[in-house]
Amino acid sequence: MTSRGFASNYRIVLVAAALFASLGGVALRLTDLHLFSRDYYVAQIERARFRIDVEPARRGDILAANGNDILATSRSLIQLGVDPQMLRDEDRAQWPELARMLGMPLPQLTAIFETKSRSVAADGDSGRLIRWAKLSDTVEESAYADILRLGIKGVYGNRTYQRAYPHNALAAHIVGFVNKEGQPSGGIEAFADFYLRGQDGWRESEKDGLRRELAQFRTREVPAADGYGVVLSIDSVIQHMVEEELAAIARNFKPAKATIIVSDPATGFILALGNYPTFDLNEFGSAPIAAQRNIAAADLYEPGSTFKIVPAALALNEGLVTPATRFNCNLDTILFNGRERRLMRDDHPASAPMSVAEIISKSSNNGAAQLAMLAGERKLHDYARAFGFGEKTGFPLGYEGSGLFNPVAKWSGSDITRIPAGYTIAATPLQIHYAMATIANDGVLMRPQIIREVRDNTGETVYEFGKSVRRAVVSPETARTMARLLEGVVTDGTGRVTRIPNFEVAGKTGTAQKIIDGRYSNRNHVGSFVGFFPASRPRAVITVIVDDGRPATGGVGYGGVVAAPSFKRIAEQLIQYLDIKPAGPAAAPARGNLLAMEGGRR
Amino acid sequence: MKPSGKNAFVNQLFVYMLVGFCLTGSAGLGTVWLRHQISITANHTRRLELRLAEAERRLAEVVTNVAAEQSPDALERRNREMQLGLVMPREPQVVRVAESPERRLAAKRNADIFTDEPAVAPVRFVLTGGARQRQ
Repeated sequence: MTSRGFASNYRIVLVAAALFASLGGVALRLTDLHLFSRDYYVAQIERARFRIDVEPARRGDILAANGNDILATSRSLIQLGVDPQMLRDEDRAQWPELARMLGMPLPQLTAIFETKSRSVAADGDSGRLIRWAKLSDTVEESAYADILRLGIKGVYGNRTYQRAYPHNALAAHIVGFVNKEGQPSGGIEAFADFYLRGQDGWRESEKDGLRRELAQFRTREVPAADGYGVVLSIDSVIQHMVEEELAAIARNFKPAKATIIVSDPATGFILALGNYPTFDLNEFGSAPIAAQRNIAAADLYEPGSTFKIVPAALALNEGLVTPATRFNCNLDTILFNGRERRLMRDDHPASAPMSVAEIISKSSNNGAAQLAMLAGERKLHDYARAFGFGEKTGFPLGYEGSGLFNPVAKWSGSDITRIPAGYTIAATPLQIHYAMATIANDGVLMRPQIIREVRDNTGETVYEFGKSVRRAVVSPETARTMARLLEGVVTDGTGRVTRIPNFEVAGKTGTAQKIIDGRYSNRNHVGSFVGFFPASRPRAVITVIVDDGRPATGGVGYGGVVAAPSFKRIAEQLIQYLDIKPAGPAAAPARGNLLAMEGGRR
Repeated sequence: MKPSGKNAFVNQLFVYMLVGFCLTGSAGLGTVWLRHQISITANHTRRLELRLAEAERRLAEVVTNVAAEQSPDALERRNREMQLGLVMPREPQVVRVAESPERRLAAKRNADIFTDEPAVAPVRFVLTGGARQRQ
């Protein structure tokens, strides 16, 4: 018998036919799927499974001058809520613990949990089911992890990234803030937004039926580029000194406004800038608009006697006078350009002709006007402009006023007698500050700088800002002479209260009457003190301006009363903090002052 | 016994088809296994990324809290709470040394090599009440 194996003709044909039919069916289906129905199914899949995840970039930090103190940073916070429909009775025992963790009274939490629907007027009586009721929108990550461990079904959170300001109100007007919509508003946050904001990343992938990402189907991925860190010139310690002093001014004199600026005269970098009133950056929503105003850059004041550095520097620089040149400062009128001009009278008439040094130290309005008249209106105008009055300082944070300083053609007949005393012009505190800084910097006017460098997220410096010179205003010799004259203000002039033994302090007091209802008020004044030290090698320029300060004694808010003491206290602290050496031989420590040797306790 | 030519062909075809099916199946299973491994690795990577992101969020929270605790206001509050009595030094408390301490110490050390007597006068400063102290 011939073996036919297991494959009879009948079976072979049957199996082969079945196989080919199956394969043919598969081939047909594949052909249909890949050629004819492809677009339809691909679209279906893409609709159902395609997903794009945006990876938010972390906004860069704002750092103080030492590069470590964080003035602004980004962190995630959880907006915690509850779906009352999902709550289980067995979780009720955990409610008190949740209330404690949220700092919320238990009855309030219970009320939220047990309110299952809200009535909608349009629907008549029918209530709409509540699927989300907010519990808190500032839950920290660690607290959220603890809350999740309670295992209360229906309580969950959504993560949001928010800006945090660890130092609260410190340097509020410099730092600025990012609002609830994520838009920077004012300060460095707005100015340096280009560096800070970074670039969001994104990722294409697919999701499963539970909307979870199927990581194996990731196709394109662009990582987020975090924002750069911005290092300011603001020193948090000096800034704190300034803000403590502003708080003291507010307590003692109850002013309408006040501002203090500290800068490095050689570079123009601002070391501290504070305003009163101020606000907490973490509570910007509840801060009044007036408190958010950067007074130092935006508000205009008549500089008063602090402006006298301009006519004095002008007359010295032009060689019209020497510090010893004397003027009769008791004149009521003076002939100028063929017309008789009425001079401002000084508070304390001089018994003898005053030297230029005395005009500055005693702050003679009469003498300052005569110095300006020696040079003429045009020169006074040009020098004042050169000192930066009437033009923006270039303060990088914006909202800066350019002041009010008319061209000579618009001057009235009395302006040549009023402007040298700091009246009929208006300047921002920054303009006044940088005019004085010009004297401290050998006659060179600098641009205010606030950012020292920009760093990437590894700490590498990306860009470094250097000093920026605006112009040379007076010669170095004139500037040094002016510094000596301003030292006289402190040693035996109107600013004696700022004297610090063994340190050469130079400065100028200023007291300007405010215009109330169109007239100069005898009760409302802007008191100021602008100065620098040590006079021979200046390390810091300090400006203190107090608007409508009222001494407790009931007197006038003179600059020497409301502003100069603050200058001195800040300067004394800066001496230690910046290690500024005394000019003369070091004094022996006096009895009763050896706090350090007493272990710092008292 | 040798099968006929037609049957031999069919048998061969059948064997080849089986081998083909096995190979295709193996390749298919291999592909499935490979994709599964890719899926496991991708999901593991994703979990690691999530953990990393969580760690970064926690780090940001800690950094923020540390920064808040290091703010001058917070330090002053701690100073009061802990009754440390720390204050800024004042100028009268500072004893300034005019000469270079390095040069003085070097001179003193070198002089001691050659003689028993100190070559440099000891530094004196007045503590209180005019009584001179030797250091």
